[in-house]
Amino acid sequence: MLSTLLVQLLTGLSGASSLFLVSAGLTVIFGVTRVVNFSHGSLYMLGAYTGWSILSRLPREPLPFILGVLLTVAALALLGALLERLLLRRIYAAPELLQLLFTFGVVLVVQDATQAIWGPNDLPLPRGRWLRSFVEIGDARVPLYDLILIAIGPAVLAALWLLLTRTRWGTLIRAATQDREMVAALGVDQKRLFTSVFALGAGLAGLAGALSLPDGSANLQMDLSIITDAFVVVVVGGLGSVPGAFLASILIGVLQAFGIVVLPQATLVLVFVIMAAVLVVRPNGLLGRPQAIRENPASTTLIRPAEPALRWLGLAALILAAAAPLFVGPFLLSVLTEMAVAMLFAAALHFMMGPGGMASFGHAAWFGLGAYAAALAVKGLALPMTAGLLIAPLLAGTAAALFGWFVVRLSGVYLAMLTLAFAQIVWAVMFQAVDLTGGDNGILGVWPAQWATDRLVFYWLTLALCTAATLVLRTILYAPFGYALRGARDSELRAAAIGLDATRLRHAAFTIAGAAAGLAGSLAAFSKGSVFPGFIAISRSVDALLMVLLGGVQSMAGPIVGAIAYTGLFDLLLLATDQWRAVLGLSIIVLVLAFPQGIAGTAHRLWLRGKEA
Amino acid sequence: MLDVQDLHTHYGRAHILQGISLQVAPGEVLVLLGRNGAGKSTTLKSLIGLVRPTAGRIRFGTEYITGHEPHAIARAGLGYVPEERRIFTDLTVMENLEVGRLPPRPGLPAWTPERLFALFPNLGEMRTRLGGRMSGGEQQMLAIARTLMGNPRLILLDEPSEGLAPIIVEQMAHAITAMKRQGVTILLAEQNLHFATNIADRAAAIERGRIVWTGTIPALHADPALRDTLFGA
Repeated sequence: MLSTLLVQLLTGLSGASSLFLVSAGLTVIFGVTRVVNFSHGSLYMLGAYTGWSILSRLPREPLPFILGVLLTVAALALLGALLERLLLRRIYAAPELLQLLFTFGVVLVVQDATQAIWGPNDLPLPRGRWLRSFVEIGDARVPLYDLILIAIGPAVLAALWLLLTRTRWGTLIRAATQDREMVAALGVDQKRLFTSVFALGAGLAGLAGALSLPDGSANLQMDLSIITDAFVVVVVGGLGSVPGAFLASILIGVLQAFGIVVLPQATLVLVFVIMAAVLVVRPNGLLGRPQAIRENPASTTLIRPAEPALRWLGLAALILAAAAPLFVGPFLLSVLTEMAVAMLFAAALHFMMGPGGMASFGHAAWFGLGAYAAALAVKGLALPMTAGLLIAPLLAGTAAALFGWFVVRLSGVYLAMLTLAFAQIVWAVMFQAVDLTGGDNGILGVWPAQWATDRLVFYWLTLALCTAATLVLRTILYAPFGYALRGARDSELRAAAIGLDATRLRHAAFTIAGAAAGLAGSLAAFSKGSVFPGFIAISRSVDALLMVLLGGVQSMAGPIVGAIAYTGLFDLLLLATDQWRAVLGLSIIVLVLAFPQGIAGTAHRLWLRGKEA
Repeated sequence: MLDVQDLHTHYGRAHILQGISLQVAPGEVLVLLGRNGAGKSTTLKSLIGLVRPTAGRIRFGTEYITGHEPHAIARAGLGYVPEERRIFTDLTVMENLEVGRLPPRPGLPAWTPERLFALFPNLGEMRTRLGGRMSGGEQQMLAIARTLMGNPRLILLDEPSEGLAPIIVEQMAHAITAMKRQGVTILLAEQNLHFATNIADRAAAIERGRIVWTGTIPALHADPALRDTLFGA
């Protein structure tokens, strides 16, 4: 028994080591550049693939192994520096969320590029004898390689600590983490500092990737699976804190190792509970410092009711949409249904993101919960469709209210990362709870009620519900509640001074947005006739973000225009190419570079300029 | 040494600096006087490049530095001490000085921590203290010392007396006078008339983003009407 525990503990610690290597890079990069680098997981994955290409050509002895790993580190450091110089450098001034989105674009491109170079199959590394050997500790047999990994974590921590505290470079890094503008005013070229930090972080990710090979393989899923864990580690440890990342890695790594033995299904939930507990007690993570209160700049464009011209345009579009089924075919009808659902989904996200100031990176959680709730209601409980459509927003709203209770206390990237982590956990639960949800096979045969089976009727129902719900969101936005919410977003202190409770306002907004997304999810479920974990995938959350950002957060019309444009373009893209990830990723990258204000935002500004002239 | 011509700066649509022109001669202390919001800090920030001017020209020595990056301007020999001091609170006194260090300039004696501790004796007694654990006066001295580590030819001081106890203000005046004796040219933004006129050679009055008066300190003292328009209720 004792030896099983020991083995499990050591397994956990060795897992913690690679988690730390990835998180340390992520946290140092964030500290200095303030960019949450989604593509850090891609660097880890590329580290594994590059490592595989190098190591599988070398003799299977310890010395060549070390040499190959070091080569991989160097290659990745170089790649990281290139990535920073060519791409990330251009977005330092952009809003946080656009940066996150931008780096997700890089993730997509890297996924397709990796598949193109190394192929779709997992690549296991042939292991030399020494990599398969065991060490006897008491009566337990522990893999030698686990012990090596366990030693590497603290060794890297010590090296980083020396680098950060004992060198001029490290001093500059720590100073820039605190106030990079002042560092520049003292004559330090930030660009070089940023490039070097990226190189360091990428090198560490490459190290972790290469070291993961003997215990696994290079595969195309490793980028997103590690980045979620790394986000959790970085948030729990405190953004920007390397020792914090170390502590959190050990906490999460050991917890996962024991969780798998004790309660395999609950591991992910356990991780989340721990994260929640840490953040309730220490909102800035274990060793994090309070983020500077960021008062939003006064230049933020006001959200105003649409101009009369735009309203007529909207009404015309609605009439056109309602009349469309009379003259389009079944394929276009399904696209239109999808657009209506997307409109509500995007409007729900916009509601919390624009006026609420809470940028969620996991909005698919509510969408998916709504979809599963509706599916289980009609399939599991044999309730009618109407009940399913009612239960979905209720359940999603309740879940949002529970989760929102502590998440609304956070802001900015913390909030974005936590919502992402939560969505990933919901995804994993639905994926793992095979008895209830069918796992990867999903729930099939979720069809609308008898009276709505006709595609036409169901389309009109969807259009009516989505338009009504979007209008409700709009009404709330221009009600006193909406004004209070925006006040709290722009200046929490001043809002508090006139008696507004920002936390409660945000909590309410979060709940409403969750419920609205849940309704969208249930309609999507009935329209497709099935529900899969894909409803909750990161890419679905990103879809919603893209719609809102494409349209622009500054107006209520933004998410609607964005949803319609995005759904249309995406369906065209799927028809046109297999490499949709690369195309989508590149489009994100180009769009963020070209329209930092979103398409509708830019159009609105042009419209205003036209009127002034 | 510093020649500013018709400098304009906007924050969004707000037109803050509406044509600032001023000159600072080598070795002198020029004080920029004005009320809150007159544009003193914005002038200094525009000079160091933290805010990008929308029009106008800045010549420093023989070089035009308008629109350059802050680090390039600092490397050219312009030092900046911000109003909020912006000490690196997680770094020790010695580390704060290290961040400010730039190569020595030919023809000028280089500042070293030892020379700075002679100028600010308090700092010498707390070399390993964290910036966050220092009093406001100590932080102000550290902010000046940190900028001096870059061996600036001209230093921009933004309200060094603000929020400090009178006895500390006194020490600050001594330190600035000593800096001047060592050959540093100083452009000072101030509201504390007494403090400013004690250490400055010349004054420039700024109001609503424009220089409305320039002259020597005796001339300023001789014109009570001007002082009333500048600071009177």
